[in-house]
Amino acid sequence: MIKERLEDIVAEVESSVGRLNLRSDYDAYKSSITGPKGKLTEVMKLMSQLPKEEKPIIGKEINLAKIKIQNYLSKAIERIEEKELLNNLGDTIDPTLPHSDISMGCSHPITQVRERILKLFSRIGFAVAEGNELETEYYCFDALNIPQEHPARDMQDSYFMPDSIDIASLPKKGRERYLMRTHTSSVQIRYLLEEKPPIRIVAPGRCFRRDTPDATHSANFHQIEGLYVDNKVSLIDLKATLDYFVKEIFGPSAKTRLRPSFFPFTEPSFEMDFYSPNLGKLSNQWLEIMGCGMVDPEVFKSVGLDSNKFTGFAFGMGIERIAMILQGVDDIRYYYQNDVRFLKQFNN
Amino acid sequence: MKISYNWLKQYFSSEVTFNEILEALPLMGFDVEETEIIGPPDIKNVVVGKVSSFVAHPNADRLRLCKVATDVSGDLHSIICGAKNFKEGDHVMVALPGAILPGNFKIKVSKLRGIESQGMLCSAKELNISDDNDGILVLDDSNKLGTPLNDVFKKSDVIFHLEITPNRVDVLSHIGLARELYAKFGGSLSIPSKNNLLDDVCNHVPNSVLNKIDLKADTDCFEYNTLCIEGVKVGPSPDWMKEALESIGLRSINNIVDITNYILHESGQPMHAFDAGKLEGNSIIVRHAHEGESIITLDEKEHQLDRSIVVIADSKKPLAIAGVMGGLDAEVSSSTTSIIIEVACFNPSSIRMTSRKLGISTDSSYRFERGTDPKGLSYAINRALKLIHDIAGGKQVGKVSRLKSNSPLSKKYFDNGEIDFSLEKMHNFIGFSVSDADVKSVFEKLNFQLFPVTKSNWRIRVPSYRGDIKRPVDLYEEFIRVFGTNMIPKKEITISGINTKDHPIYTFNKSILSFLTSKGFNETYSNTLRDYEEFKLLYGESNSDAKFLKLNNPLQSDQTHLRNSLITGLIDVYKLNLSRQNSYSRFFELGRVFSAVNNTLCELISVAFISPIESRDRKWIKREPMDFYSAKSIVEDCIRLLPLEYSKFSYSLVHENHLWQSGHSAKLGCINEHNFESSVGLLNLKNLKSNWGITGPIIAGSILINPEVFKNNLNQVRYSEISKQPTVSKDLALIVKKDIPAGDVKFYIKATIGSLLKNFLCESIEIFDVYQGNGLSEDEKSIALSMQFRALDRTLNDTEVNSLFDALQSKIIKDTEFKIRKMN
Repeated sequence: MIKERLEDIVAEVESSVGRLNLRSDYDAYKSSITGPKGKLTEVMKLMSQLPKEEKPIIGKEINLAKIKIQNYLSKAIERIEEKELLNNLGDTIDPTLPHSDISMGCSHPITQVRERILKLFSRIGFAVAEGNELETEYYCFDALNIPQEHPARDMQDSYFMPDSIDIASLPKKGRERYLMRTHTSSVQIRYLLEEKPPIRIVAPGRCFRRDTPDATHSANFHQIEGLYVDNKVSLIDLKATLDYFVKEIFGPSAKTRLRPSFFPFTEPSFEMDFYSPNLGKLSNQWLEIMGCGMVDPEVFKSVGLDSNKFTGFAFGMGIERIAMILQGVDDIRYYYQNDVRFLKQFNN
Repeated sequence: MKISYNWLKQYFSSEVTFNEILEALPLMGFDVEETEIIGPPDIKNVVVGKVSSFVAHPNADRLRLCKVATDVSGDLHSIICGAKNFKEGDHVMVALPGAILPGNFKIKVSKLRGIESQGMLCSAKELNISDDNDGILVLDDSNKLGTPLNDVFKKSDVIFHLEITPNRVDVLSHIGLARELYAKFGGSLSIPSKNNLLDDVCNHVPNSVLNKIDLKADTDCFEYNTLCIEGVKVGPSPDWMKEALESIGLRSINNIVDITNYILHESGQPMHAFDAGKLEGNSIIVRHAHEGESIITLDEKEHQLDRSIVVIADSKKPLAIAGVMGGLDAEVSSSTTSIIIEVACFNPSSIRMTSRKLGISTDSSYRFERGTDPKGLSYAINRALKLIHDIAGGKQVGKVSRLKSNSPLSKKYFDNGEIDFSLEKMHNFIGFSVSDADVKSVFEKLNFQLFPVTKSNWRIRVPSYRGDIKRPVDLYEEFIRVFGTNMIPKKEITISGINTKDHPIYTFNKSILSFLTSKGFNETYSNTLRDYEEFKLLYGESNSDAKFLKLNNPLQSDQTHLRNSLITGLIDVYKLNLSRQNSYSRFFELGRVFSAVNNTLCELISVAFISPIESRDRKWIKREPMDFYSAKSIVEDCIRLLPLEYSKFSYSLVHENHLWQSGHSAKLGCINEHNFESSVGLLNLKNLKSNWGITGPIIAGSILINPEVFKNNLNQVRYSEISKQPTVSKDLALIVKKDIPAGDVKFYIKATIGSLLKNFLCESIEIFDVYQGNGLSEDEKSIALSMQFRALDRTLNDTEVNSLFDALQSKIIKDTEFKIRKMN
């Protein structure tokens, strides 16, 4: 009799739990079975009236039924809880909707080209050096063998500071003026004075020339200076280094040539030209890309190095010029306007 | 510099073609900026012909079918022509089959409207003779039939516009370039020969034309030669000279002046002619100008002179600015009969200084300031005498006078020493070997004198016009330049290790770059040179930086001062993007700025960023806006990349500032004291609106760093033990006066706990709530802090923490005006 009732209850629970979808329904149902007035509780109360010898047998049956019921209930509550969790998550996502967070910003196109160049030179052992934008004429001209009364000084029209200005961090040698550096070559002097050879550096930085701004001129622009000084650096090393650079940056089909030129701080001096079939409008013509040469003995003299013992080469390139060639930009001023649509074009 | 190819060919002849020369010039160091073609190029199969008859083309009204004779007895060519400006019997230029006209236009026999045409009658433009394209070119009848085009029009020429580097004054002439081409290609070099005047020079002996010469400015004038001629007939120059001068862009003046200009462009030696009749006191004095003296130069401009400027004067007044330009007073004109020719050598720096000071650059000053050939004077004076005699007549009076300076500078200038050359040293320098024969051949063609010491060691004397070659390295340069840079062998790079690290400023900038781009900021580049108006708007009239930052010689009125902050550039960027209706974006810049630090101008490393509070772009889900505290977090993360213990610095609220919004921005550190300073918060709303037209709040941050900071080395951090025990947390709420900074409260609590702690740790103290309003009076706020305690060696019990907490509270009550608020 008890056994049948137990079986009925178990069967009922088994068939009912599937319909329970809310925690409240579950609680009510659970209570209708195992609560103080629940069906199972009612049956268990009958135990006391049973003869002593039947108690263990029925007791066992009850326990069995309890386990089964508990099992069904557990599964039901698990299911309900999982559903509750899912409900808390809200609607299913649409993976095609855009996020509305701020996306990663971009580095400036000039920075990108600068980094590319510095990395190329880093691979062949050139460390990055820094100099200052505000310089004395000594570092910018005199020590570079560009004396005051020399027409070479006209090649670079400079912005000067008034004579009354004093700059404690930039001591003067004599009565030279302060100016905005016209080239990064000033870093050569600073490094040669501070460090002992071997020296192998690339120095990026902002330079200034007193030019009327147009599509190819900006009052400020950027250069990378290179310098390698050791006791057996020769012209052939200069050519090998710059050939490597051009082929890495413009591709293996690029050709180079060294065109003799003149810089007071190198002898011999060259302009390096390159020629590439894959440059759009600029394809298949010689393009000037940088000035270079062997460090002039006068420069070694001004930094107190013996030019019989040391030789070296130096080169200097305009980053904007290379960027314009690489990126196909035809007006330097775009780089200084910073229209976000322009900047983002170079975001890789 | 302009070089006429025809003129050049007078001195240099070789098998080499025009195109080979054109290609070689840049590789010899003479960049060709432009080639200008004058007249018809060398074209075959274009000859003079006569239209013997013509009829209308049967199939085209506009065309004429002509019979053209190109020799007296021969056959007639049948040629169709569209022009109508000729009649029967006219002489014309006929392009016969096989001719290639400019623009690669090939002439061949072809059919036009069904009838064969055996050539073309040419217009002046088609032959590059002039721009005239109105009908065909009709010649006068004197041209014989069959005469080739280039015999009819001899005036064809090519003008090279060359860029000559400042070291190569010797190439600033036709003979100069001829010498270079000879060195490169061989062939022959013919320079007009000298007559024997050279031996006939002496110090000045007074004559009827010139009584006295006095070389006073002998530090700036190294040599002064004069030649006196009387009875010259001043008039127009002969056509050949006019054409030569005009071809390189000069204007023909009169025969005497033209001769001086011709010689300058022939040999590079400037010279000048004075009208002897206009000299006061029959004398020439080379002296420094007197203070207050002035001169009207040939271009009819008046120049004030000073004691640094050398003039050629008579006994009363300056006649010419030495080496730069002649004066109107002694100008050679049609009435001139006696002339004095000056051929001199001046101190290059003196001429350069004068030229810059007066703002005059002439063909003369351009050469003198680069250092003319000290031995080029006698050539010029001889050449002048000959040309004047041939062209203008006249008779030389007296001898050529030569006055030489004895100054040491002058001696040095004329000194033409020898250079020791070692082939082995050159091999080391260039990194590859070349034969001594190659080297010898190059040097000899450059007219260097070689005195052998050993087989591959020479003493070398360079010609006097090569003042740029003084050292062995200059000889290496010459060798490579002429031998050809294409002869430098290819080589793979070999790298030996050098132990140098990247500069810490570079490393810092690179870290900032990746940090800020990852935060959604776009990098910008703005101009360093700024408009002073902007300074006034952003820093107020009284800003002390402005006087340090002003350039001495600005070029444009909006680029007069160095920037002292990157923020101004960023505002411009923000505004540009706003006005172009671009999507709202965050921007930053990394760069150098300039500021007065402790009363001296200082170059600082700077990073700054700018962002609208909230994007105005419509988005389908909302995100938290940017505020002061998010900007503060960015600033602090940037500072962490510096070798600085930034926790030493404290924030202060910004008040009364043109750039930053009072009460909504803060300053951290001080550049004068800490070599570091940062500002962060809202930009001044009113200022942005009234002066930039930007409405809506903008958040910005700026960091200034003295480069000195990068010399710091932070100590290596050492490990301190981490407790594995559980924590005990305590919360404390304090009611404090509204104007007390939360940081001060926290600092006080931290210090007090520190003084009370004995055998356990306080791991953190965080402010987790700030409250004003209900339950508090107007001038109060509540600050809630949470503290975490832990012991290293044991589970901390509540009693220990509670007793510390009680002690803390009683200390607060005793020491401060803070009220402790009951926590729920």
